[in-house]
Amino acid sequence: MATYYKFLNVIEKCINCGACFAICKDQNKVPHGTARVQIVTINEGKPGEKNIPVSCMHCTNPPCVAACPVKAIEQRTVKDWQGKDAVVVTVDKHKCIGCGYCGWACPFGAPQYPHGLEGDLKEWEGIMDKCTMCVVPFVPRAGDLQAKARCGLFCSTKARLGGDITEIMPQYTEAKSHNTMAYQERPGVL
Amino acid sequence: MAARMNSIGKSNGIRLSRRTFTKLSALGTAAALSGISSVSVSAELEGLIAPASASPEEAGVRLIKSNCTHCAVGCGFHGRCENGVCTGIEPWLENPINTGSMCSKGTSISEILNSELRLKHPMKKTGGQWVQITWAAALDEIANKMKEIQARDGPDSIMYIGSAKTSNESCYLFRKFAAFNGTNNVDHQARICHSTTVAGLANTWSYGAMTNPWNDMRHSGLIMFFGENAAESHPVAMLHILEAKRRGAKFIVCDPRFTKSAAAADQWVRFRSGTDIALLWAIANVIVNNNWHNTDFIEKRTYGFDQWWDVVKNYTPEVVEDITWVPAATIRQLAYDWAHPPQGEGTAACICWAMGATQHTVGTNNIRAMACLELLCGHVGKPGGGTNAFRGHDNVQGSTDMCVLSHWLPAYYGLTEKAWRHWVTVWNMHEPITYEELKAKFAEHPAGSGNSLMHVSGITVSRWYEGVLNREYPIAQPNPIKMVFVWGHSLNSITEMKRMKEAMEKVELLVGVDPHATIAASLADRPDGIIILPASTQFEQEGSCNNSSRETQWRNKIVEPLYESRPDGWIIRELANRLGFGAHFTYEDASRASSDYQRMVSPEQVLDEISRGSNIIMMRRSANRLKAQQLQCATDCSVFSPEDLQAKSGPLTGEYWGLPWPCWNDQHPGTPILYRNDIPIWEGGNEFRPRFRATGSTAGNPISDDGVSQLGASYIGPGYDQKNSDGTDGDGWIYEIDADEAFKNLLNQNICPSGAGRARFRAWDLPDPVPVHREPLESPRPDLIDKYPTYDDVTNLYRLPVLYKTIQQQRKNLVNEGYPFILTTGRQVEHMGGGAETRSCHYLVELQPECYAEIHPTVAIELGINHWDWVWVETLRGRCKVRAYVTERVNEGVMRGGKRVEATIFIPYHWAGWFEGQSYANRWPAGTEELAYGDSVNIICVDGYDRSTVMQETKACLCKVYKA
Repeated sequence: MATYYKFLNVIEKCINCGACFAICKDQNKVPHGTARVQIVTINEGKPGEKNIPVSCMHCTNPPCVAACPVKAIEQRTVKDWQGKDAVVVTVDKHKCIGCGYCGWACPFGAPQYPHGLEGDLKEWEGIMDKCTMCVVPFVPRAGDLQAKARCGLFCSTKARLGGDITEIMPQYTEAKSHNTMAYQERPGVL
Repeated sequence: MAARMNSIGKSNGIRLSRRTFTKLSALGTAAALSGISSVSVSAELEGLIAPASASPEEAGVRLIKSNCTHCAVGCGFHGRCENGVCTGIEPWLENPINTGSMCSKGTSISEILNSELRLKHPMKKTGGQWVQITWAAALDEIANKMKEIQARDGPDSIMYIGSAKTSNESCYLFRKFAAFNGTNNVDHQARICHSTTVAGLANTWSYGAMTNPWNDMRHSGLIMFFGENAAESHPVAMLHILEAKRRGAKFIVCDPRFTKSAAAADQWVRFRSGTDIALLWAIANVIVNNNWHNTDFIEKRTYGFDQWWDVVKNYTPEVVEDITWVPAATIRQLAYDWAHPPQGEGTAACICWAMGATQHTVGTNNIRAMACLELLCGHVGKPGGGTNAFRGHDNVQGSTDMCVLSHWLPAYYGLTEKAWRHWVTVWNMHEPITYEELKAKFAEHPAGSGNSLMHVSGITVSRWYEGVLNREYPIAQPNPIKMVFVWGHSLNSITEMKRMKEAMEKVELLVGVDPHATIAASLADRPDGIIILPASTQFEQEGSCNNSSRETQWRNKIVEPLYESRPDGWIIRELANRLGFGAHFTYEDASRASSDYQRMVSPEQVLDEISRGSNIIMMRRSANRLKAQQLQCATDCSVFSPEDLQAKSGPLTGEYWGLPWPCWNDQHPGTPILYRNDIPIWEGGNEFRPRFRATGSTAGNPISDDGVSQLGASYIGPGYDQKNSDGTDGDGWIYEIDADEAFKNLLNQNICPSGAGRARFRAWDLPDPVPVHREPLESPRPDLIDKYPTYDDVTNLYRLPVLYKTIQQQRKNLVNEGYPFILTTGRQVEHMGGGAETRSCHYLVELQPECYAEIHPTVAIELGINHWDWVWVETLRGRCKVRAYVTERVNEGVMRGGKRVEATIFIPYHWAGWFEGQSYANRWPAGTEELAYGDSVNIICVDGYDRSTVMQETKACLCKVYKA
């Protein structure tokens, strides 16, 4: 049975180290200026500072799929690195016309429209790029790679959990089950 | 910034199927069941990292185990090698230290390895141009120059700056190379990162290293940071800290800035840069006044509590509030928490630090104060407790252990005749050499005095340039330095860069050895006299590496050396050959291919030689043991537990990951927690070493200068002195060669050969036996300088005079004379050290493209500075042009006499390529230019140095800021 591939972020644990950004760039060869995952920081520099890795969430009912006028975005079943069938959302860059509708539809701002590309990359100018669970690199190739959310596996504090939702949900629940994760005052002592 | 694609990285991703994983597992299990013998391990391991592939699509894909070369956590990863090219990395989920996790620097490793911006060939600067030369020509010219200088000026006129980023074996050979060249002018990054940690801890309780493993912090009840920002400098350490927090531990960050670590903490305490000791003593003061201290522990295992209290009783919370900015009530609460670690799994508290505590004129005292706080509540020697010095470079613990340092021989042997004779004995077993022969290589100073510089500490890396300039600070050696090796060292991590630049322009020859050109090639504005050699990265050679918590891991070679780069050992041997002592640096391994650059300098054999002599730290580990651990870890992730790093099943059951030293012999499991004496030595127990012996001490009765016995309680009951191999009292254990059997007998009686002594609250032989607060050289509080003055000037510290009081008095009123703000420096997570590697990596540069100064919004508004404006930050040394990063991470200071003072300005130190606003990018050899340049904050940091180790002060000086 196919399993949904998702991301869950334990934001209390994210320290904004940038591992997800860098391994994504390294694995998928995403060019300078485009990011499939980015860390957004709120309350920077003061108590309450939190970091949130933002990328395509591989929605179960993806609004981008509904919005795409040329059916370039698909919810597909691919093999994951452990041999399971995984459901992920990918884009066929050869079909994409770069209209930007998916960007409007996406609640997370995940679709990217690279600009300023040079050389061999020029043909992908303005064509939508986003996280594919490492299935499709920035420059698409024949055949899929295995779904393997390296950003989750490499995350320095296991704040970002990525992969089979049935595997990562228990990890997420455990990480969040202790209220000590959040900043709090301890009982006064003196 | 133009988009840049790595041409090597364009090939397809991994195609490793479930079937292959199963196959790998089966192979490993077979190896495990067949019994691990030293020969079969290597063979099986080779099979494991190069699995024969059945299906065409998997052909050529190999996952090779290695360790990250950035910080000292020691994260493992798999290099993905396809057809001899590293195409990326995959997580090593079974490595117990990081369980797959890495940070942005670690995940950029394949990009850094394959970088097109690396130094590709030996280059020589001549006539103002960089020209490519052959290895033979480069090595010949360097060796000839060395011989010329040694004959004309003496051996001490060559400075050897080594590296914490090379393997243990390379570090050891480098130290040996300096010895064979007849000088102690050899030093490396440990001097400028944690030398004060080593001095502070070793003078408190014998070993200068992190006491507990990274993973052990999971069991802490309280984790306190003092001048450490793990979220930026050791991100994967936060994996364990946040796990402890999840289990209920409290995580407190004491730091002048609201760091990323502070954002993840339960509590953050802001205090003024350079006042650590006052704050720590106030915490101790409250603990003792409330009788929360562990009197039993203090009585049985420590010395000097009463004299210590005579000092500390004066640091009441109210007094210290004025010094540190920390409210007295907060100090009381910190003291309560320290003595009563809240909930969590354990009851012990650990204290962690890095450069924030070490890089001060009082660095050694800072560390001593933290160690005393551990002693006070008996937190040391327990799971979850201890002093965790987070070390910086991947192998800086190893390079310190190998003592690429101007005052020690490998494994912390000093420079006494006895120490030299010990190592000459070891070296002689490899290739004949006598003590007298080696001594003849060293100069005397003054000439004819009989005072051999063999026994005199050399010049440190923190002030090597003074050895060249020989001007304001005359040096105590025959002639100034005329030639310098910069071997894997980013010089922009050293302060006083203006003087250093001048020195780099004055030496006759400057030799850079590094995978990148670095500022060794470019900072000096000179037309010739520079040769740079391309060293291989640690992914292109094999060797062992010690992480911060003394665990040794074996790095396999992922790819053959790229371009014309060569492994460090090969370069050292080639030079030694030309200097006439190549046989001492030849360790031929006939099983390696003749094309293998490590064939003649086998890391396995070098490690064996290290093990033979390294008694003080008992780094007795063979490559086979390390490889066997790696094999086990590859096959079954449940073998080595991430909880305590111990193997729970399989043939290595009981062994600790990385065999943390002291590892007493070939069967000992390693000692993950130092000074833990509630378990037998055979299971990793350890004692405080009675190594401090004042005059009047005898074998069996070490005493302090006031006559108190230094023998403490031990696992077997009463304390005892260090042992000879026959069990009698004496320091014989240090000088034994291959005495495994003798040590086994002692261990069987639960006797630690290094003795069982007391830790010292009072270190009678240090400049401050009990640390006291001393205001920074440039203090924002002139009114406190008289009460808490710095040290008196010193005439000869590591061959150079050091000024303290003179500087402080001259600049006493600086805060009111136009320099109102406190300048402090630190790390960015995306960059490492001097940044030559990371500023050449386009992922990391995309995240962190420019150098900046953090300025509080209030200060920025008053100065008319907007976010990301160009600003000048100026001190008495010079100025830096950087971006303004307007943020509340730093404090806004206070209004005093109508002027704003004591606001903190923070600048990261990884940047180079600009010098006081002027770019010198055009001085890099073509094709090696880095992607991002910035001004170096170390141009403007203060000219102050630690009183004991000459560590440079980078964290507290006075500055002003204005719009550029």
